[in-house]
Amino acid sequence: MSSLKLDHLSKHYGEAVIVRDLSLEIANGEFVSLLGPSGCGKTTVLRMVAGLIAPTGGKITIGEREITVLPPNKRRIGLVFQSYALFPHLTVFENVAFGLRRQGVKGSELEKRVKDALALVRLDAFGDRYPRQMSGGQQQRVAMARAIAPRPDVLLFDEPLSNLDAKLRDEMQIELKRLQRELGITTLFVTHDQAEALSLSDRVCVMAHGNIEQFAAPEDIYHRPATAFVASFIGKPNRLAGKVASRNGAGGTVEIGGGVTLNADRLDVATGGEVELFLRQEAIELRTTPTEGPVNSIPGTVQLRSFSGAHVQYVVRIGANTEIVVEAPSSGAASNLEKDASVYLAVAPANVFALAAAEGARS
Amino acid sequence: MSNWKAGVLLFGPLALLLIGVFLVPVLLLAPTSFHEYAPGVGIVANSWTLENYARIVTDDYYREVVWRTLYLGLGVTVSCLLLGYPVAYLIVRGPARLRLPLTLLVIFPLMLNLVVRSFGWIALLSNRGLVNNFLIQTGLIGAPLKLMFNLTGLMIGMTHIYLPFMVLMLVAALQNVPRDVEAAAATLGSSRSHVFTSVTLPLTAPGIISGSILVFVLTISALVTPRMLGGPTYKVMATLIYDEYMQLLDWPSGSALSFSLTVIAIAIIWASSRITKRWAGMA
Repeated sequence: MSSLKLDHLSKHYGEAVIVRDLSLEIANGEFVSLLGPSGCGKTTVLRMVAGLIAPTGGKITIGEREITVLPPNKRRIGLVFQSYALFPHLTVFENVAFGLRRQGVKGSELEKRVKDALALVRLDAFGDRYPRQMSGGQQQRVAMARAIAPRPDVLLFDEPLSNLDAKLRDEMQIELKRLQRELGITTLFVTHDQAEALSLSDRVCVMAHGNIEQFAAPEDIYHRPATAFVASFIGKPNRLAGKVASRNGAGGTVEIGGGVTLNADRLDVATGGEVELFLRQEAIELRTTPTEGPVNSIPGTVQLRSFSGAHVQYVVRIGANTEIVVEAPSSGAASNLEKDASVYLAVAPANVFALAAAEGARS
Repeated sequence: MSNWKAGVLLFGPLALLLIGVFLVPVLLLAPTSFHEYAPGVGIVANSWTLENYARIVTDDYYREVVWRTLYLGLGVTVSCLLLGYPVAYLIVRGPARLRLPLTLLVIFPLMLNLVVRSFGWIALLSNRGLVNNFLIQTGLIGAPLKLMFNLTGLMIGMTHIYLPFMVLMLVAALQNVPRDVEAAAATLGSSRSHVFTSVTLPLTAPGIISGSILVFVLTISALVTPRMLGGPTYKVMATLIYDEYMQLLDWPSGSALSFSLTVIAIAIIWASSRITKRWAGMA
């Protein structure tokens, strides 16, 4: 059990900068996700921690041990791959025993620890099978048992659930969370799936273009995005351009054209400055009457209704021809609005994210 | 039913060709191998004997040739494997810019005629060849080494000639080894050499076996190179068969030898494919 510290880590391939001066500290037993679109450098970071890619600069420390230049076999890490990467020529038992044998564990002790690891992923009865005789979900559980069995200091996951179908992914997500809590191993989890990152992690590190955009608890990432990139990447945001009309303490008012203004609780841009405005589909409520008080209330007309089971999506036109997508629960009051119905969008000022416009944030 | 018809149509031309020019002549040879041969007379009609086969096992000379052939096959296979694996590894895992030049280098000898390549080895290996001349002139040896008309010469020449087949099979096998699986072994505590012996080698076993079958069968049935590098006296089964037919005109004996060689080859292919299946079943 140890903390993991990345200190000014960087990776360049010639001119191309994949990871830029990245520093990150993961506490002992903490579960941290690296979340970002493909090409943001998250997998490169993970592979540098695993020792499969040599960093261009910086330091990696596990506990008190600096491991920056150690080969992978000396790092005491467990790595779970997207492709499972099981040994196809070995049985499930031998797959799990592989790391233990390298540590010199033998005989009944070996048997016991392999059994324990397989029991943790509920595959006790599958020791004699070969990986090809198992489903994708089972194979990934074997891969987890194999990574856990040697009791590594740090567990690394490289998009472990991406190859599974949606239903299985949800099950595995719960299983993985239970497993990590039970073992309390420091974990770095790489994913491009925000729901996965938010639900599993103690803290989430959102990355873009080799940089950390925000490193915070899931609730903070979701409710208080620090940058335009995070606001655009998390949730299902409507993205609008606006201008700060006035400031009021920490917050202020933003104008989005067509005479429509929105109050935001937090605003870091001075009056007259350009901002990007993000309104989450799920944070907007549709009402048939205007709302009084601090809540923003914007009149609009329903353009399109689309039913998708748990939710109903509406496209609503507001102001000067701006279209906003709203997601309403299909059991709620606003589940059955007709086209051309007049509605009011109700958005709490806390859910209006107005952030300084960022270059290339939509990648 | 239409599938079956399509299959017959697709396979038909090849099947007809094989039946006409391979199976029928082979079957015609079968009775010949059981006939007696009288020197000066030829095949004795209506005489049936097992002697042609018995001689291969009992006669010292024939037995030596059979063992020599198998030994040569084994030796060439092993040297192709030992020389070929590092080359294949370099082609697949080495720097990308080396891949094309190395592959071309491996394939290039295949574009030269077999006779030319064998002559090349004569020029190199004979008593007054390049190798011996060089060694004598540098004073490393006094008298020329005997590099031709013996096992050494055949091994050198045939290893060179069949190496490309082995390398190409191994390249294909190595390309199929997932890098993540090797990385997984490394993160579980395997050193580089242990990753190789515990993961890479077993996963390339099917390629090793099929490459070995190919080289072995090609070697034991080769005629031109053994004839040129082995000379008139140092014989292997293929050259012996040739001589029995063309010089001694002892067709029954040649046929019996041919069948024995075929049976050996088929037995080895069968046995190896059983092993391959067991390996491939796991991989």
